Amino acid sequence: MKLVTWSLATFHATAFVLAIVLFAYSRNALGAGLSGLNTFVGLGLFVALWATTYVTTSRALKGLDLISSARDRGVYPRRTLRWGAANGMSFLAILGMVALVAAIANTRPGQVTSGILVPALFIAPIALVVSAAVGGAVGALFGIIDLGLFALAGLSGGEAEPTA
Amino acid sequence: MELDPNVLHVAIRWLHVAAMATAFGGAITVLALSTKPGPDSANAVLSVAIRYEWMFWAAAGVLAMTGIGNLAAFGAALLGPATNWGATFVLKLGSVLTLVVLSLPRTLAVARMSSTGGSARASVTTVRNLYGATTATFAVILALAVWLAHG
Repeated sequence: MKLVTWSLATFHATAFVLAIVLFAYSRNALGAGLSGLNTFVGLGLFVALWATTYVTTSRALKGLDLISSARDRGVYPRRTLRWGAANGMSFLAILGMVALVAAIANTRPGQVTSGILVPALFIAPIALVVSAAVGGAVGALFGIIDLGLFALAGLSGGEAEPTA
Repeated sequence: MELDPNVLHVAIRWLHVAAMATAFGGAITVLALSTKPGPDSANAVLSVAIRYEWMFWAAAGVLAMTGIGNLAAFGAALLGPATNWGATFVLKLGSVLTLVVLSLPRTLAVARMSSTGGSARASVTTVRNLYGATTATFAVILALAVWLAHG
């Protein structure tokens, strides 16, 4: 595990969730949303988002040295689009599995196929496309924000040569 | 056997406070170490700062996760943004988001200084400024949190 990967992944997951909470609360829509959410499920979903974001950020940074190489920092934003889409689909897959298990547990056995599995089979491909689009857009946005923050950290120039 | 929701909420609050203590206390420690370092301790200060950055991001994730858990405990009784409590909460959430966003360049700057070497004295001055700003922001967030809990 590398510090740059760990910090970028956690930054993306926490900033994303905080921005949504701030937006929802300022529009008075948070209380209703949270009151319908089981505490364990809420904590579990955040951990799932954190984990999928870590894995996809790790894949996006594979072979790149953002600290020392300006060329690698140029390549990075293009990868954020692709791996952001992968993150969106991975998180949706976990969310879908949780929803599916909860729905099956609360449905009479005779109605599981017609009431849960068949509709899920039709909805899943559309949901995956939408989650990939949303994930890709969020990933690309974070790619741009990250570039600005790299510059703020003094990582905007050419190759940083070791001096010691 | 069903878990008492009050026990769960106390556990989440405990975790939230522990993560805050780790992040705030760690920032104060790095600031104190970089304020009057010994002649040969610049590399040690950077080494401690690097270790702190690992802990900071773990604490940030736990704080975000448990913070939402704390909000969920309010349920429908959560006061709206138009109230005094709500306005202070928006200010706190904005401060936390700002701290998280500005912490990424701090981590990257510390990682850069650690990997490239350079002037030890200049590095310690930069570390002192970065952790001074981090500590000050944490102090503001803590003051807002105390007001929200007891104000």
